[in-house]
Amino acid sequence: MNNNVVVKNVCVWNGESFNEPSVLRISNGIVVDNDLPNALEFDADGALAIPALFGLGLDFQEPHRDDVYTFKNGFNAMQKGGFYGGLYESNANPIDDGEKLSAIKKRLEGHPFEIELLGAYSVGFGSSSLSEMLELSSGVVGFGDGNAPIPSTRFLRLAMEYGKMTGKRFFFLPLDKALRKSGCVHEGAYSDMLGMKGIPRIAETITAFTVLETARFLQVPVHFKQVTCGETIELIKNAKQSGLDVTCDVDIYHLLFDDSSLESLNAAFHLVPPLRAALDKEALFKGLEEGVIDAISVNHFPVLLQDTEVNFEDSVPGAISLEIALPAIWNELSLRFGFKKAIELLSYAPARIAHARKAEITLGKRTDFVLLKEHAPHSVLANELSGHVQNTPLLNKVLPSTILGSCIGGNFVLNH
Amino acid sequence: MSSLEIKHLFGLQGVSYSDIRKILDTAKQFREVLERPVKKVPSLRGMTVVNLFFENSTRTRTSFELAEKRLSADTVNFTTSSSSVQKGETLLDTLRNIESMKIDIVVVRHKGTGVPKFLAEHSNAIVVNAGDGAHAHPTQGLLDMLTIEEKLGSLKDKKVTIVGDIRHSRVARSNIWGMTTMGADVTLCGPSTLVPRNTELLQYKNIGHVHFESNVERAVNEADAVIALRLQKERMDNALLPSMREYRNFFGVTEQVLSKAKPNALIMHPGPINRGVELDSEIADGTHSVILDQVTNGVAVRMAVLFLLAGGRFNEQ
Repeated sequence: MNNNVVVKNVCVWNGESFNEPSVLRISNGIVVDNDLPNALEFDADGALAIPALFGLGLDFQEPHRDDVYTFKNGFNAMQKGGFYGGLYESNANPIDDGEKLSAIKKRLEGHPFEIELLGAYSVGFGSSSLSEMLELSSGVVGFGDGNAPIPSTRFLRLAMEYGKMTGKRFFFLPLDKALRKSGCVHEGAYSDMLGMKGIPRIAETITAFTVLETARFLQVPVHFKQVTCGETIELIKNAKQSGLDVTCDVDIYHLLFDDSSLESLNAAFHLVPPLRAALDKEALFKGLEEGVIDAISVNHFPVLLQDTEVNFEDSVPGAISLEIALPAIWNELSLRFGFKKAIELLSYAPARIAHARKAEITLGKRTDFVLLKEHAPHSVLANELSGHVQNTPLLNKVLPSTILGSCIGGNFVLNH
Repeated sequence: MSSLEIKHLFGLQGVSYSDIRKILDTAKQFREVLERPVKKVPSLRGMTVVNLFFENSTRTRTSFELAEKRLSADTVNFTTSSSSVQKGETLLDTLRNIESMKIDIVVVRHKGTGVPKFLAEHSNAIVVNAGDGAHAHPTQGLLDMLTIEEKLGSLKDKKVTIVGDIRHSRVARSNIWGMTTMGADVTLCGPSTLVPRNTELLQYKNIGHVHFESNVERAVNEADAVIALRLQKERMDNALLPSMREYRNFFGVTEQVLSKAKPNALIMHPGPINRGVELDSEIADGTHSVILDQVTNGVAVRMAVLFLLAGGRFNEQ
C-alpha cells in the first residue's frame, strides 16, 4: 500500500461548496500541501471529493450468522461505498452484557473504521428482562432493541427509567407488534390490490406517540429509526417544538421507492418497516427539508440468496445498501436541498447522533473522503457487492452516479 | 407459443379484453365438447402438466386435472404432503427438480402472493395460477364470467354484486379485474373489517367501475348477478367478526335480499358453501342459482386456458 496519494483534477468540499478542480495530496491519511514524490497519482476527472459518510443501522451478522456475512465483508462494503464509520446494532447477536460487548470490541480492533455500538436495553432484544445497561454504558453510545418490538409499555417505562442513569439515548424502531401482526407491506391501495397483509401507518404512529410520552415523562433522550410516514413526522415535529430531546432518521430506500414497487412482487422490496405510499415518501422529503428528520440511515442488513429466492411473504426482509447508497441518492438530495444539506444528512448528522467524530478534508488533519463522479451512470452488479449476498432492490438497476474510490483512515482504494 | 398476448396466466389484472374474449369463446367451444359422449380432444397430447398444489384443494385441483385429461395431456400431481417441501426444500429447488423432468405446463396453487410469477421467472414452463394467497384466482374469475355470459348473453353494463370477505378473497380480486375489463359494473359489499380500505387504486387505473356499499340490500339492488363468498370460520377467531349469526343477519343472501335484485338475477358462489351463513339453502338450490353451472364451466375454462397458452392448435390427428 502506498501511503502517499495525489488526486488530481478533483473538486474538494470546503465546508460550504466544492472547489474548482485542483490537486488533493494525502500522506498517511493526512491532507498535506507539499509535494509527494513517488506518490500514487490518480486523475479524478472532475469528480467530487465528499467527506466520507457515516452509516446508521449496520448489522454484519457476525459472529452468530457469519455464514451470511462477516465484519470483513462489511468493512469492504464500507470502503467501496465511502463510509468511514457507522452505528452498529446486531440483531443476530444483541449486545446485552459486558462479555458480548468485550467480544465485539475485540473484533473491531485493527481496522480504520469508526464503529460505534448500540447496546440492548433488554436481554436478547424484545424480552421483558432488563440488560445490564450500567455495565454496557461505558462502551455503547445508546440503547436499542434492534428491530424487535417493545414488549409492553410498562417495560418501556422501566427500561427508560433504569437506562436514564446512563445518560444515553434510546433508539426505537416504532412498530406496534399487534398492529403489525403478520403484515409484510404497507397497508394501502397496493396491499389491497395484491391481497397482501398490510402494516397500517398507525402501527408506527401509536408506538411513536407512546415512546414520546414516556420520554417526556422520564426526560430521556430518544431516537426514532426509519420513520416512514407523515403522521409520525408531525408527532416528532411537535415533540421537538415542545423541547423534547428527540432525533430521527429515514431509511434510504424509503426515499427511493414507494409501495407502487410492490406491483413487481419482487422480494427485494420486502423491507421492515415497509415502503409506504407516494405521499409518505414526499412527506419524508419535506421532513428532511424542514429539519424534523435529522439524518438518512442505511440499515445495511445482508440476507442469504436462498432466503430471497422465495415468494414475497416468505422472504427475509432487509436490504444491503453500503456500496450503493451514495450514488443512488446523491443526485436527488443535492438537487432538492443543495450539496451542504446532502452532506449534513449523509455524513455529519448521522455521526453526531452516534457521538462520532466528523469526517473532514482539512489541511493537516486525518481525512476520510469519497470520490463521486456525478452524472456517470453505472449498473449495480452482483459481483461488485461484498460477500455472497445481493439483497437490494437496486440490483441490476442503473444509478445516476459512480463512486470512483474512497480514502478511509489513510487507505486509498479505487473501485473502478 | 401462446395464442394469447399473455404467456402465462398469473391473474386477470392487465389481461386484455381480447385475451379474455378469446378464452371465453374457446371455453364455450369446450363446453360443447363436454356435452359429447366422448368428452376428450387430443389438443395437448404429448404435453406434460404438473399440478403443483402447495395448499389444500379438492375442487380446483380436480377441475384442472379433468381439464388436462380432457385435452389428452399427461398429468402429474404434486402436493406438499407427499413432497420434499415437507423436508425443507426451497420453492425454487422444488421447481428446478420438477422442471428437470421436462414439464411443459405448471399449474400452481400457493399461499404466497406472486408465487406463479416467481416460478415463471425461474422456469421455461408455462405457468397457470390456480390461486396465490389472497391475490388472484384467475380461472375462477374466468369461469364466473363464462357463467354470466352463458346465462345473460354478455357482461357489458351488467351489475355484478360480490358479497362477503372481499379483503381475503382472491376470487373477488380476479372478478374485479376481469369483469370490469369486460364492461361490467362491480359492487362490493361486506363488513368493514373484511372489505379493503383503499380501493381508490382501482379507480386510478381506469379499469372500470367498482363501488362499495355496506348495506347488502342496497348493494344487491337491481343486480344482474350476485356472487356470495365463503366466510372462513377463522375470521371469528381473529375478531374480524362477532359471530356467524350476526354475519348471516346483516350480510347473508336471503330471499329478502334477493328480492331487491333483477327478476332473473343469477346467484353464484365459488364453493364450498356455508349454508345458512352466506347463502340460505333455498337460494343456493333455487331457480336463480347457477352454482353447479359454475363447476361445469370451470373445466371448460381451464381447458381453454391450457389450450390457448400451449399454442391453441386443435390437434385432431
